[in-house]
This record gives sequence, C-alpha cells and structure tokens, in this order.
Amino acid sequence: MSSEEGFDFPSDAWTAAYKDALNGSERYREAGKPWTFGAVAMVVSADPALGLDEDMGMILDVHQGHCNSTNLVRGMDAVADTPFVIVAPYARWRQVIEGELDPIKGMMEGKLKLTQGNLPTMIRYVESSRELVSSASRVPTRFRA
Amino acid sequence: MEPSIVLAPGATDSALCSMLATLIRQTLDEDPSKKPVVARMSGRIAIVAPDLDQSLTLLFDGQRVELHAGIVGIPDITVRAPAEWIMKMSLIELTPRLRLPNPRGKIMREVFEASHDGTIEVHAAPTSVPLLLRFTRLMSVV
Repeated sequence: MSSEEGFDFPSDAWTAAYKDALNGSERYREAGKPWTFGAVAMVVSADPALGLDEDMGMILDVHQGHCNSTNLVRGMDAVADTPFVIVAPYARWRQVIEGELDPIKGMMEGKLKLTQGNLPTMIRYVESSRELVSSASRVPTRFRA
Repeated sequence: MEPSIVLAPGATDSALCSMLATLIRQTLDEDPSKKPVVARMSGRIAIVAPDLDQSLTLLFDGQRVELHAGIVGIPDITVRAPAEWIMKMSLIELTPRLRLPNPRGKIMREVFEASHDGTIEVHAAPTSVPLLLRFTRLMSVV
C-alpha cells in the first residue's frame, strides 16, 4: 500500500510510518528533547467487532526527541516492561490521530488511560508527551471503522 | 505519619478524581518532603473544569486526603479552570528555599495572566491562603 492511500491502523507498516513521522518532526525533536524516561506504549484495546481479537500495542523507544525503534506487539503482557503505557479503545485513538482529541485532556477525561508509568513525569514533560502522541496525526492512516 | 490518599465512594468512576489521586500519591512517593505539608493541610478544595463538565472536592484533614466527585460541602477554596490550565498549575515554579509559588516563574506569570483575564478563577477567603499555598506546593511537579 502506498502512503497516499494510508496505512492500516494498527499495523506494522503504520507503526514504522509513525517512527518516520516522529523523526521527521521538528516539533517533536524540540519538544521531546527532555524526555529520557524510556519507551512509551500506545495500546489499542481489543475489539472483536473491529477484528482486533487482542490488545495491540505500539512500543515507541523514544529518547531525547528521537525515536530509535518501534515495535507492534500483541497482548498486555508484551508491554509489561515498558515504562509508560497508555491504553484506549480504537475510537479514541482514531480521535487522537485525526487531531480531534488532545491526549492530555483525553487522559483527564478518562478517554485515554495511563496504566503504567509515573504521572508527575508525564506532566512535567507534558509537551514531550503531547507532541509524541499528537505526531500520530502526521501518519497517513486508513481506519477500520 | 504517612498520609493516605483515598477515593470516596462514587469517585472511582471519575477520571479526574482517579488522575489527581494518582498524581498526589506519586508526587509524595517522589518527594517525601511534601508529606509534612499534607499533615498541615486542613479544609476543602474544589476544582471545577467546565470544559470537561467535571468537578471534584479534595478534603484534607491532616492525615488523609479524600477525593470526592462533584462539590461536597462548602469549599474553603474553589479553583475553576479549563482542563489544560488545571494541568498547567502543576507546573507552577516554586522558590528554592521556602517552596512558595515563584512569581518570577514562566508558568506562574502565565497563571497570573489567565487569572487576570478570567480564564482561571480562584475563590478563597484570606484565611485560606495558607491552604492554597500548601496545595500549590503539594501539586507542583517541578
């Protein structure tokens, strides 16, 4: 599939494109500079109606404004060792990717949940966190529904 | 004494209550010097986020912080601000020695401006100023 058509979300191709979007973003390079606290996983909750039979997580190995690697994993066990884990249903991630939901506000509303990780750190580096998640909107995306 | 941070019945369904409880717990774990600050706090603080259509009340009794969904009782302090500003207030800079809000800090100045233009409203009797200052110190993550 070409990037013009969009990458299926979530998929290995989408996750790889996300890494490129992060590393191509001047805003993330700046905002992410102070981030030295380890990888962040964005987990899409299982939703059999959408063909997601298990939770799917995108682990982003980010450090000082650079994404070293990304990895698409299945099941919550696969993100157990990831320092920061944010979990949300598919529809919420879609809102984030489409720029309709600010990730920090979404967390305050309970639409996105930080299930693992230090909240004061997320808040202290709120622009790093926000820009990391918001950069997903730069990935051409094809949604399931 | 170790302060306990608890969600009142009904508050477990409030994302804002859960988030603030987590924030307070983790902040105290990170900086135990704040525990005596909690021990000196007594009163009710209400936080209203109109854009989230949520509010909560924190009850401090010196040993325990109890978070309630909604406004409970008559608050000593009410902070009314959009969600973004509630989060931002955790970034208020503190002075190095006394750990009071630093009026020269960038975020503190932004909060002053937002208070001036009505984006943030803080209602507190003069007698509640010490509670407000301690609350600011407790919630500050910088």
